[in-house]
Amino acid sequence: MLSLIQLILNIIAFLSIIIIISYSFTLIYYTTKFFHLAHAAIIVFGAYFTYLFSQQMQIGLWFAIPLAIILATVMGALIEIVLYNPLRKRGAIPLVFLITSLGLYIILQNIISLLWGDDTKSIRTGPVEIGNEFLGAYITDIQIITIGVSIVLFVATLLFIKYTAVGKNMRAVSSNAELSNIFGINSDAVILWSFAVGSALAAIAGILVAFDTDMTPTMGFNLLLYGVVAMIIGGVGSITGLIGGAFLLATAQHLGAYYIDSKWMDAIAYIILILFLIWKPLGFSGRRLKKVEI
Amino acid sequence: MSSVLEYLLHILILIVIYIILAQSLNLVAGYSGMISLAHAAFYGIGAYTTALLSVNFNFPFVATLPIAMVLSGILAFIVSVIALRTVDDYFIIITLGIQVVIFSLMNNWMTLTRGPLGIPGIPPISLFGFEINDKIPFLILCIILAGIVYYLLKNITSSPFGRVLKALSEDEIFTQSLGKNVYQAKIISFTLGAMFASISGVLYAHYISYIDPTSFTIDESIFILSIVIIGGMRNLWGSAVAAAFLIILPELLRFLGMPNNIAANMRQIIYGAILIFAMFKYSKGFVAERTNSA
Repeated sequence: MLSLIQLILNIIAFLSIIIIISYSFTLIYYTTKFFHLAHAAIIVFGAYFTYLFSQQMQIGLWFAIPLAIILATVMGALIEIVLYNPLRKRGAIPLVFLITSLGLYIILQNIISLLWGDDTKSIRTGPVEIGNEFLGAYITDIQIITIGVSIVLFVATLLFIKYTAVGKNMRAVSSNAELSNIFGINSDAVILWSFAVGSALAAIAGILVAFDTDMTPTMGFNLLLYGVVAMIIGGVGSITGLIGGAFLLATAQHLGAYYIDSKWMDAIAYIILILFLIWKPLGFSGRRLKKVEI
Repeated sequence: MSSVLEYLLHILILIVIYIILAQSLNLVAGYSGMISLAHAAFYGIGAYTTALLSVNFNFPFVATLPIAMVLSGILAFIVSVIALRTVDDYFIIITLGIQVVIFSLMNNWMTLTRGPLGIPGIPPISLFGFEINDKIPFLILCIILAGIVYYLLKNITSSPFGRVLKALSEDEIFTQSLGKNVYQAKIISFTLGAMFASISGVLYAHYISYIDPTSFTIDESIFILSIVIIGGMRNLWGSAVAAAFLIILPELLRFLGMPNNIAANMRQIIYGAILIFAMFKYSKGFVAERTNSA
């Protein structure tokens, strides 16, 4: 039987993952204004690169993890350079970007399947443990690390956006790309930055999830969609809203899992999204979703 | 009958089933500009309706087909009333959500659908006292139904209502200013598309005689959308050719000596790549090449 504290711990651990993913996705959405669904593959690649280096090439975890993050970051940046940037030059609409990213996601996910197979792979070093006792509930080491990493990353990226030159440029490009070009900000470079930072965060999230629950080639899509749902119900582009959205999502999913069954978690996420789009289409923050423009 | 002929007939039947799916989605995505990722859900509803009714209550095909269409239509109506509060990329995300919700109903509602176990022993179609056990008469039945769907779609799209759809997909506000009820037209188009998609589901269920939720996943929705985009928006024959091409493709790869599992992945990689190329062609929007933008 789950205790209340256990439930809260589970929610917090899950929330931490959603926040990293949602934030990494929002960073890209923030500057480019389209749904980069191939981001899901970057999450998975982060995990599989770690598997490649630590298990297959037997490099120590302390080298394997940074290497995997760097590789995934390069991949995210390459996607922007090779695919999205030329599309932007052609004046593509957001819908076209979305479908392109869907096509890219299919390609990347199948490449992972071809390279590593469809079965579950593990990068866990030790046996599965119950975890540390905390007020009568249990929390695993990896869950503690996840929560810690999530807080650190969140604060770090927040400071990055607020105080560094690149971060300020990101905000400028986000509010008006053309105008910031006039002021001498290279919007392409800024967007590349957001892809790099976003991909690094996504890879970290993927690795943390893989340590917790192992990995399959298709695990990324659902994770990403939780992040997208958290972003939309939080109000697009709002950081505090994003935390609220992630919190609402994680709580509803875990309560649903507790009272009904854990297999309904996906459905609950989307039912929340749909309810929000009906009754509160602007999200928590009250910012306007895209409507038909004249 | 020789096994080669059996195999060819099998491929042909699958092609015809997918032609119905792709052409019905072309009405929604191509003619009305609503890119939907929920089409496999309606396909699945058709399959599940006929499977449950014919296995549990011995309903004949002539009864299950209209019931499946009506059920799918009612659901599509509700879904579209909700989903059409948003446009473009948000519409895609919300249809994606609906796809996941319906999939998890199929996968988790054990008492009704038996979940991942699927429904075995779906009887063959019997029409006017004849049981259609053979592949040749089944193929003929499929072609007749596909012909009817094509005929209806052709008439709908060239009717005044079809012109309203085309107009609203190009400029919604302008169409509205002409006094056309855009919202209603979109709902009708979406509902009709879903009803036609359920025909495919009914045929598929009786043909394979066993269904489980894995045939109606989000990947399937993406696949159907790819057929429409690759074949060309607003091009019903294009959808048919693209459906044939994408169904034959993995068979060709297998014929060239590729192992089964690799061929399946390669097919997806190839259609992902074609999707991206198509997006470069369509980068200005799906109707831009027809209009001379001043």
